Formats: sequence, structure tokens, C-alpha cells
Amino acid sequence: MKPFDPFHQYDLAQTRRQLFGRAALGLGTAAMAHLLQGEEKSKLDLNGGLHHRATAKRVIYLFMSGGPSHHDLWDYKPKMKAMFGKDLPEEVRDGQRITGMTSKQDTLPVCPSKYEFSKYDNNEDGIWISELLPHTATVAKELCVINSTFTEAINHDPAITYIQTGSQIPGRPSMGAWLSYGLGNMNENLPGYVVMHAKSKHAEQSLFGRLWGSGFMPSEHEGVLLRSEGDPVLYLGNPEGLSRSDRRNQLDALSALNRAQHERLANPEILSRIKQHEMAYRMQSSVPELMDLSEEKDSIFKLYGEAAKEPGSFAACCLNARRLVERGVRNVQIFHRGWDAHGNLPGEHESQCKDIDQGCAALIKDLKDRGMLDDTLVVWGGEFGRTAYCQGKLTDKTYGRDHHPRCFTTWMAGGGVKPGITYGKTDDYGYNIAHPDGTPMKPIPDKGKWTPGTVHIHDLNATILHLLGIDHKKLTHRYQGRDFRLTDVHGHVVKDLVG
Amino acid sequence: MLSRVVMYSQTLPPIRAAAVVLLFVSTSLSADEGAPDFSKEVLPILSNKCFVCHGPDAEEDELRLDSFGGATVDLGGYQAIDPESPKDSELVFRIHDKEDPMPPEKAEGRLTDSERDILSRWVKSGGEYSKHWAFVAPEKKSRNIDTAVESKLKVEGHDFAPQADKPTLARRAALILTGLPPEMDQLKRYLANDSPGAYEQLLDELLSSSRFGEHQARYWLDAVRYGDTHGLHLDNRRGIFPYRDWVVKAFNENLPFDDFITWQLAGDLLPEPTLEQLTATGYVRMNPTTSEGGAIPAEFQAKNNFDRVENLGTVFLGMTLNCVRCHTHKYDPIVHQEYYELLAFFNSTAESPMDGNAYVYAPVLEVPGSLQGWKEWESLEKERDAILVELDRAIKDGQLEPGLLSYAEKTLGWKTENWKVTKDLPFKKEQAEEKDWKDIPNAGALGKDRFGNRSVAKHISFTLSLDQDQTLLYKSNAEFSSSFSNQKLALLPSGKGPQKVSGKLRGIDGKIKAKFEILNPWEAVAKQKKWSAASELERVIMAGDPYAKVFPLDLQKKAAALSKKLIRAHSEFSTTLIAKDLTTRRETRILDRGEYSTPIGEALEPGVFAVMNPFPADAPKNRLGLAQWLTSPDHPLVTRVLVNRIWQSVFGEALVRSPEDFGLQGQQATHPDLLDFLAVDFREKGWDYKQLIKEIVMSRTFQQDSAWRSDIPNDSGNRKLARGPGFRLDAEVIRDTGLWASGLLESKMGGEGVKPYQPEGLWVALAHPGSNTKNYEPDTDDRVNQRSLYVYWKRTSPHPMMTLFDAPSREVSCVRRSRGNTPLQSLGLLNEPQRMTMARTYAANLISSAKKDKERLKIIFEMVTCRPPTAAEEKACLTLLKQAVERYTSSPGDASSLTKQQDSSPELAGWTQVVNTILASDSAILLY
Repeated sequence: MKPFDPFHQYDLAQTRRQLFGRAALGLGTAAMAHLLQGEEKSKLDLNGGLHHRATAKRVIYLFMSGGPSHHDLWDYKPKMKAMFGKDLPEEVRDGQRITGMTSKQDTLPVCPSKYEFSKYDNNEDGIWISELLPHTATVAKELCVINSTFTEAINHDPAITYIQTGSQIPGRPSMGAWLSYGLGNMNENLPGYVVMHAKSKHAEQSLFGRLWGSGFMPSEHEGVLLRSEGDPVLYLGNPEGLSRSDRRNQLDALSALNRAQHERLANPEILSRIKQHEMAYRMQSSVPELMDLSEEKDSIFKLYGEAAKEPGSFAACCLNARRLVERGVRNVQIFHRGWDAHGNLPGEHESQCKDIDQGCAALIKDLKDRGMLDDTLVVWGGEFGRTAYCQGKLTDKTYGRDHHPRCFTTWMAGGGVKPGITYGKTDDYGYNIAHPDGTPMKPIPDKGKWTPGTVHIHDLNATILHLLGIDHKKLTHRYQGRDFRLTDVHGHVVKDLVG
Repeated sequence: MLSRVVMYSQTLPPIRAAAVVLLFVSTSLSADEGAPDFSKEVLPILSNKCFVCHGPDAEEDELRLDSFGGATVDLGGYQAIDPESPKDSELVFRIHDKEDPMPPEKAEGRLTDSERDILSRWVKSGGEYSKHWAFVAPEKKSRNIDTAVESKLKVEGHDFAPQADKPTLARRAALILTGLPPEMDQLKRYLANDSPGAYEQLLDELLSSSRFGEHQARYWLDAVRYGDTHGLHLDNRRGIFPYRDWVVKAFNENLPFDDFITWQLAGDLLPEPTLEQLTATGYVRMNPTTSEGGAIPAEFQAKNNFDRVENLGTVFLGMTLNCVRCHTHKYDPIVHQEYYELLAFFNSTAESPMDGNAYVYAPVLEVPGSLQGWKEWESLEKERDAILVELDRAIKDGQLEPGLLSYAEKTLGWKTENWKVTKDLPFKKEQAEEKDWKDIPNAGALGKDRFGNRSVAKHISFTLSLDQDQTLLYKSNAEFSSSFSNQKLALLPSGKGPQKVSGKLRGIDGKIKAKFEILNPWEAVAKQKKWSAASELERVIMAGDPYAKVFPLDLQKKAAALSKKLIRAHSEFSTTLIAKDLTTRRETRILDRGEYSTPIGEALEPGVFAVMNPFPADAPKNRLGLAQWLTSPDHPLVTRVLVNRIWQSVFGEALVRSPEDFGLQGQQATHPDLLDFLAVDFREKGWDYKQLIKEIVMSRTFQQDSAWRSDIPNDSGNRKLARGPGFRLDAEVIRDTGLWASGLLESKMGGEGVKPYQPEGLWVALAHPGSNTKNYEPDTDDRVNQRSLYVYWKRTSPHPMMTLFDAPSREVSCVRRSRGNTPLQSLGLLNEPQRMTMARTYAANLISSAKKDKERLKIIFEMVTCRPPTAAEEKACLTLLKQAVERYTSSPGDASSLTKQQDSSPELAGWTQVVNTILASDSAILLY
């Protein structure tokens, strides 16, 4: 009989655990399953991907919570001007359900955007971008703008849960958790999936732990919050009066105690925990180093704006995001709230755009300058769009818009997406996804079967996974006897978006 | 013998009949050499690889492989399975076909060689079907736990591991049963007791400790997704903690588990339900809810019901029903319609589909607000019921009713005037100033102002005018203090004439309206002109009313004394969400693709799954009948699913390692006979939870040493049960152990969710500005050190020390927690402020309880590990102590910072470090 070797035992246990979906840090579960199936390919060939060569090694997701208005930012509809205040033609709405907030309004008056749009370099026709996003407009030629993103959910909680977890009902792992599960971590001293909350004057929607949670997966795949107040990572700092060398001594003692326990029990988890304590110790220096912006040059603050010096601002989060991906963090998500403009849309969106505009542009330029844009995917978008009709009082100065699931704008940049394209079209009211000639698609697009020119949120997520080298149909996690996926039983990789 | 097809009912729609066929094809397996076990070997392959296209949800004209009938259908001169000539079966041919294989090239799941072999052998031996094991009622095949485990070990040439030593066993048993190590005196008694019954005696002590229920309740609360907030959108506060307390109480009192189930599903439908039975129905109300602006009620009526059906599936049936919401199950024999028949049991509950973002989300009930409260209430209730009998008798014997009624009429003349209220003032401010007051028309207008929080108060004042001496009460929803009372419900001053009444109402967290009502206990009797119109409480108060002079004096005095106690008890009641049915049922139809807006087909009767036991013939078609079905002796799943989870709570891993799924896609039990033995035994012994868990911890299997065995490699998951349990303790146990060891643990049981320290800003970073759980305000009293099951559970952001150690969010059912091992846990263990408080407090205790460092070390080790430290452990700790003391001697400021004491001794700071380290070590945070 072979002598008992706890390390070998542990390795076997890990292998088994990986197969059953309990990925440890490092190589992802599904990746391990692949290797075991003898489909080993050189990791280099895959460029960090899991099923095929990844064009994006990392992703930064700028999530605009509340539903930014595609009408006032991206989807230029000059013909609506002439319809100002007139009732939205019945055939445009065509039976679309309306939230309880506007279903009781007498009329649904057409509400053209009050903002000027200008043309920028993008596709062969150029792209019209609103005056609210002057900085973002300067990187228009890097952007892959999707005007035909759509969802079924019509209220915030279900819609945001849907786009981030693939289901409108809580309980599923977030996209970030799926990526952590599939791709593992490239930096031993930092978490693989980092989430930030950017400040907003109009933080009027809820966020939920489930949006970066691990659902039914092991909790190590949960996003780690990087905070702008208190400890940047929870409990990172030693208590007052306890120095780094004190901690070193504590860890030495702890390690001795745990080794003694391991001698008794031969349980390899104990050895693993000793390693985790050491990684925590390293994080105590690597995270403050990450958060220390003093090494950044003045030109960087010029690029991101002075706001980047203010902890927790969207610009500061963007700069942190760049610093994180530079250090090998694969997945960074920034949540910016306040886009739910039911009443005073102009007032709120102006302030919201001011929060985010320069940071978005700076992030893309900065990544590009460092040669990282090619393999870093940046995604910008919200959970749905906003209505063509006005909610509340309509004047030429102010108006509100309700939630609109049938079409909205999302953009991506870098990481192997086609730069400088505008994908998908909507009708003259920015209400329905349209054919290239502008006539609304009938029947309306359905998640069950992909229609060219449309990007359901499952398609968007499938495409993001694809860019990261993951086949969304193969990245599965068994729970309750079923192999779950981020994209449920849907999702189509929209190849037209891929460079 | 060939198969027997059982059709259930001719009236069933065809789609359902088709699905029923499948699993009611039963057969005796042929005993041929080489025939694989259908249920264990064949069915999992069919389910995994074939049922996607050829299963219960197959396209209409597609071949069905989920029943013998389907597999033997004539496909045009050939059959998938040819019973006459099995070797010519198309199935065997196609799975080996290189050109056109099955499953096809593009399928996600292809067959392996060994799977092809199993299928071939099965078909060639006749291709007969039997029911999936989990749908066949369990039978006892083993004598007890140990024989079931041992027989399997023996087959592989192994034996049990040696028995763990006594200290280890004591710690293990105490942690498993109560979630805390044994008390020191308990441990010493056990170690000193050499009698053979010593261990059982220890177990009995642990089982009768009230900590037992607190610990066992946690698993249930995870499963039923208990939370203190609504869970969606605003995620506002929800008043349902009495349900949580009731669960603790039920475990402590060892309520038979069939009753435990019945009360939760249908307590309100029992005859004359008690407060407890009604509180238990909080289970039905536990689904997350919303009141998001714009949400469509019909949509959430459907979603709330989906959630209930699916929770029931997970918790009681071990079945995944989520997919049946949209279509017939791909794998398990459950058709689309059956999902909605099950849903129909829940579709007629009376609450609005939208929660109104309200703490009091009707229907609610007022019940005791803590476990102490329940205890007192139970004895008071007995006294009350006894006196009510006496009163009724007195009325009948003495013809008292006319006197009662005429007095009652005289009580209606009271009035109040000159209502005034202040704006929110600091709570600590005793007197309001002139400028703070404003006039209001009446008590009802108080609620126009909403309270900010507990740090503020409103003063109120009014004039009460009585034309006679009489008894009135007031009732408030906030803490009320005045010169005459500080209860929420109490008697008002009762003298004749006008008198000024004033007091102070303390604010309540969240947007809650202030309420202050005046109640006349005689009013109901006066208006309805009969004694029985009054509530029980009112009857006792009336009888005790000294001014009425209706009842004999001794009875009046007795009633008066009791009414005081009852009023006090009621004043400490809290509301809790309960289930109640509408008088007219809501219609339930199938929802096409699970969309609330597309109901199809006829209205459905409530019903259960045909593949399981039949609905009891005499049971009502409501939630009570559903409970009777679940607790029927012939139910194949419920007891298995429950005992499996109980086993998991003891061993860390269950017998069926997919406790959430016993269906075709789930795992087989590691010890099927053991599972069935426990399931049957549990039921036969009266659904006795304590008996079952005692049986498990009494077993030799449990008492084994938990060290990994070199003679049994490749069993990291302990699937052979060849060693004792070993796993990292749950978040709650880790925190509770630290509180307990350091002497901080608060013994108060139950009450509103408690808020210990958490880092600032975690809630506000997520919450809607309109949410009443936006600001986390830590509690400041001793309650912060209550056991962790009482920690406030905000479903969209639970306490970080809970989630860090894998506690679920409770948005959905969790019947198996993961056990992560992360660097963030290290940071939490060593740096979290609560843990530093534990370390400081414990360090000070150790220093005062022993003089020598070695003795101190011995104390802490004995508390946390039940044994003295080994030489290596002692050396590691003393080295750390020496280093720390030296450092703090040279940096006294740091010592004070660490211990939060001026002029702290270096010794205290040093010990703080040592305690902090020991409490974080694997000897403290692991079960072994």
C-alpha cells in the first residue's frame, strides 16, 4: 500500500472538488474539467480563455443602474421633434405592457430629446452622440455601440437581476461569479473579481448583494467590494495598536497551531487555510498599494479629471479599475446609480453624465496608451432604456421617461470587439427594434430565437463570455440536478460585434 | 414478468396521461447475470444523456425513452427496445452507430464506452423499467445506523475508525447539538464519569438545553429563506421575527415534525388555531416580495406563488420544480399542469401580492415578542382560560348578563379633547418646551408625522373627560413613557372628571406612523349586547373592572390581578405575518411558458404529483390537505429529504449529496439502506427529531475519530463514513463560540433582529433612498451579544461576518451551505471589531482568573477545544505572548490602543493578541 500522503490526498480532493464545481483560487473548475477530458491545449493558445482563444483577458463593466435614456444620449431620433407632445401612435406601442407608473396616464405624449446631437467618427456613416457625453464622443471610433439591446423585464429589481444573473428571480450567480468560476484568478495577492460603487447625487435605485453574489456557487466566487470609505476591503486593516510585525508574529503562532491540528487530523483543508492566512497578509500590503494614487502622474489626473482625486467618484473608480486590471485582476465592475429619470430627466441626466463621461473616455484612452485596450473589454450599459413618451409634465425644458425594455443602448470597447461600429437600429420613436430600413421588426424580437440586428441581454452576456474565451453553453454549474448557465437556455454570440 | 401500465384516470388530459405512464411502468427485474440495476445505473444515463430530447418533455411525435411503453413503440417495423428480440433493438444499434450516433455529434452530452456497455446490457437483458428509487416509499432494510455503515465498510475490507477520545467527543456532540462547546462544569462531569451511560447522559443534557433549538433552527431558517426584510427593491423591514422564535421553540419542545410541517403550511386551517399554530404559517409568507413602483400585481401574484411552490419542492420534496414553471420537467416525471395544480394550494392566500413596503404586511397577528414572552404567555394563557370558564359559569349561574349590559352602556360617554403633539425631539430630552407643541384634532392625526428613528421621541398630551370612574386602556405602536405607565398597552387614569394625560412616544426605525389609540374594554359588549362579543382579554379586564361591580368580589379581584399581567404581556406582543385564505378561491390556470399574462386551459383544482403517493382520500383540497399528503406514511420523499438534511447537519455532508435534488438528476445516496432506515425509523417513532438526532450522535459511526485515514485513500468526501465528521463550523457557530468563550454571550432568546457592529456604509451603498433599511444603526445594549441566529437578516445585504463564512442571503432556499476557505475570512477572523472585543474581554478574564500564563492557556484551550494545549501549542502561544508583551512594554501607547484601556498593561495587550489568535485557529473554528 502506498504511504499516506496528505498532499496527494489534497490534490485528489481538489480535483474532485473542481469537478463538482468547487473551484479553488487558480485554475477554474470548468478549465480543470477540460484538462481532465484530455482536451488540453496550451494555455498560451487560449490566451487565458477556457474553451477557445480569448480576445479579452479581462473585463471592466461600467453598469449604469436605473436605465439611462437612450433617447437623450445615444439613439438620435430627429423625427420625434415634429411629434412633440402628440400622443404616441398606438401602432408604435402595439400592445407593449406599461409599468404601473404610467399606465394610468391619460396620454402618452411623444417626448423628443431636448439635447443637441453631433456626428462623430464611428462607422461609415458616423455616429450621432448627444451633447451630454462630450468626452465619450472623443473615443467614438473605439466604441461598438449597440442600439438594439433588449430585455423583457420592466421594473428595476427584476431587470437588473436579469442582466446581471441571467434570471429575473434572485438565486443565480452573478456574471462576475461565473467568470471567477470559469477563469480563476491571475493575481495571488488580489481578489479576482472586484466591485466598486461610484458616488452619484441621485442614487435612487437599490442595488443588491446578488448582483455580484455567487448564488448557488461557492462563496469564493462572490465579488469583493472595494470601498471608498473605511477599509477598502472589509477588515483589511489591523486593529489599532497591532502592527504589521505583530500580525506576522500572530500568523506564525497561528500557523504553528494549525500545523499541530493538521498533525492530529491530516485534513488538507487545514494546510490550505494556512495559505489563505498568508495571502491575507500579502493583501494587507497589496491593496493599500493599489489604492495609493500618489504614483500616478499629473497627466493621468488631467485625463480622468480632478474628480479622480476624490475617493469614490466614478472617475476614481475608473482609475482604480485600470490599476486593478494592470495588476492582473480579471473582472472589475463599477456600479453607478441614479439613472432612473421618471421626473426631472434633464436635471438628473446632466448630473449623471457629468459624473461618468470623462471617466469613461479616460479609461479607454488610458488603456489604449498602455497597450491594454486590445485585450481588455470595457462594457457600458444599464438594465433597460427609457420611454419615447413622457412621464409626468412635458415642457420644452423638462420631462420624465418611464422604463422601456424593448430597446436600449449598450456599448463595448476593446477586448476584441469591432471598434467603430454601430449595431442595430430602432424605429423613428426609439421604441421598437427596427429593420435596417427603419420599419419596426414584427413580431418583436424574442430571446428564444436570435434575429440579426438584435442583442437580447442573454446575447450580450453570451458575447461577453465569448470574448473572454468562454463558450456560454459550456460554462455550466450543476445545481438542483440541472446544469445551469449564465444565459439560461438562451443566448447567441453576436459574431457581428466581434472583430 | 413484463411491465404493467397503470393509467391513473381516464379523465386526465392526454399530456398528463402520457407522463403518468412512464413511471408507473413497474417490473420485477430479471436476475440475469450482467443485467445492470435499472434505477442506479441505467436511469441516470437515460436522464443525463437521452431525456433532453426523449424524456417527459419530448416533442409530440418524438420517441420517448422514459417508459417501457414509449421505448417499445413500433417505429415502422422496428423498435427502440424490441422485447421479443432484445439484441435487435434500435437503441443498441444507434448508440454504437459511427455514422449516425445517438446522442448525435452535436449533443452536449455524449455517451462514454462504459455507459454504452450498461445500456447495451440493459436492453439485451430485456430493457425493463422500474421506478426511480426516490419515488418508491422507503423500507427498512438495515437494523440500525452502524450495521448499514459497517456492512459497506466490510465489503471493501475496512472497519470503523477507532472511537474519538472523550474530550473530543464532548466538544463534537455539544457543537453538533447546541452550536457551542460544552460548558466547563458539564465537560468536567462527563470526563469524570466512567459509567457506560456517561455519554448518553451528556447528550440528554445537551438535548434539553435551550441552545439546542437555537442551533437546530438555523438549518430550517436557511431552508425556508427566513429574513427580516422583504427582499426585493426597497428591501424594507418585515415583521416576522416571531416565526423565527417559534421555530426555536418548536425545536426545543421537540414538536413532532409532522405537526411542525402541518402548522407551517396550514396552522390557520386547523380547528381553533392557537397563536403558535398561526405564527407557524409565517412559512407561507416567507417569499421575498416587492412593492416597486410600476410593478404589476398579477405578475407578482404569480411570482410569489412560484417562489412558494419551488421552496416547497426544495424543502420537503427534494425536487427541483423551477423548470416545470415553464414546461414539463425535462427529467423528472412531473408535467407542466401538475406544477400549477400544486400552485393552486397557495393561490388563494389573502395577502396582497404587493407588500406595500410595510413592516405590517397584512394579514398579521400579534404574538409574544420574545421567547421569554412566549413562555410567560403560555402560563398566563392557561390562567386566562381557566378564569374564562369560571366567568362564563358565574354569568350563567348568577344571571349576570343584564347587569353587565347595563353597565357596559354607561361606559360609552368618555371623550378626549385638546390633543397636542410635539415635533420629533431628542429622545433624551425629558420635557418639551412651549414652542415644540402643536394642536391636532385627535389621536388619529398623530400619524401624519412619521418617526425618524429610536433616537427621537414625540411628546403627546390630551384631556380625558370621564363622567364616571371607569376603566379605559391605551394602545400604542411605539414605546410609551408617562407618569402612569411605560407599556405599549396599559390602563389609563380612571378618575371622574377632566384630567390631563401626557407622555412620550419613542421613535421607531423606518417610515412608521405613530399610533396611539384609546380602547374601552366594554365597547364590544355595549354595542353587540352580548358577553361573548368581547375578546378574551376584554372579558378578563371587564370582570376585573372595580367600577362595574357585577361579579362577586373574589372573582373580580382575581380577574383584576390577572388582567394586569395579561395587559403587560400583550403590551410586549409584536406583529407577525401569517397565512389566511380568501373566502372565495382565486382561479388557477396553467401559465404558458410561466408568463403571468398568458394563462391557458381550464381552471385547475389543487393537486399533487401523480408520481408520488396519492392525495389522501379524506383530506381537504387546501393547504391542510397538502400537509396531510406530505406527512402521509406512504410519502416516498418527505422523511428521506428531512433525515438526509439532519444527517448533513451532523456529518457536514449528506447521504444524498444533492440534498436539494432527489430527482433523476440528483445523486444516489452513499448509503441507500441507511437513508431508508432513518426515514422509516423517524416516522415510526413519531417524527421525533430529538430522538433521531440522538440516535445519530449515539452511533459508533458518529463517534469515530475524525482524522483522515491513510488506509483509506481517495475518500476526501468521507463517502464511506470511515471516519468521524470534520468540517469548518458555520458563521454563526464561529461567532457564538467567541462570544461564549469570552463571557459576552447574552442569554436572552428571541426578539426583533439584533444589529451588532458592522462597518459603516454597507447598507447605504446599496439601498434605495426611500428604504427603511438604508441606515444600519448598531444596537447598543447587551442584545448585540445575542446568538447569531438573531442577527438582523437584511436579504439584499446580510451581515458581512455571516456572508464571509458562507451564510446564504435567504432570498432563496439554501439546504446546503458551501464552505469557502478564503483570505477574506482570515481578515475577518483576525481584525473584525467584534472579534477584537471578544479577545480583549477574554484576555482580561483570563488574567484575573489565573496567575500563571500556562494556567491561563490551559483555561482557554479547555474551553475552546475541551483539552489542555499540547507542548507545541503551548510553545507557540507563549512565544507570541512574550513577543507581544515585550513590544507593548516598549510601546505602551499601542497597548492602550489595542485594549481600549488607558494605561493598559502590556500583559493585557499581549493576551489580547494570543486570544485573538487562538480563537482564529483551526482548533477553534473546525468541528473534529
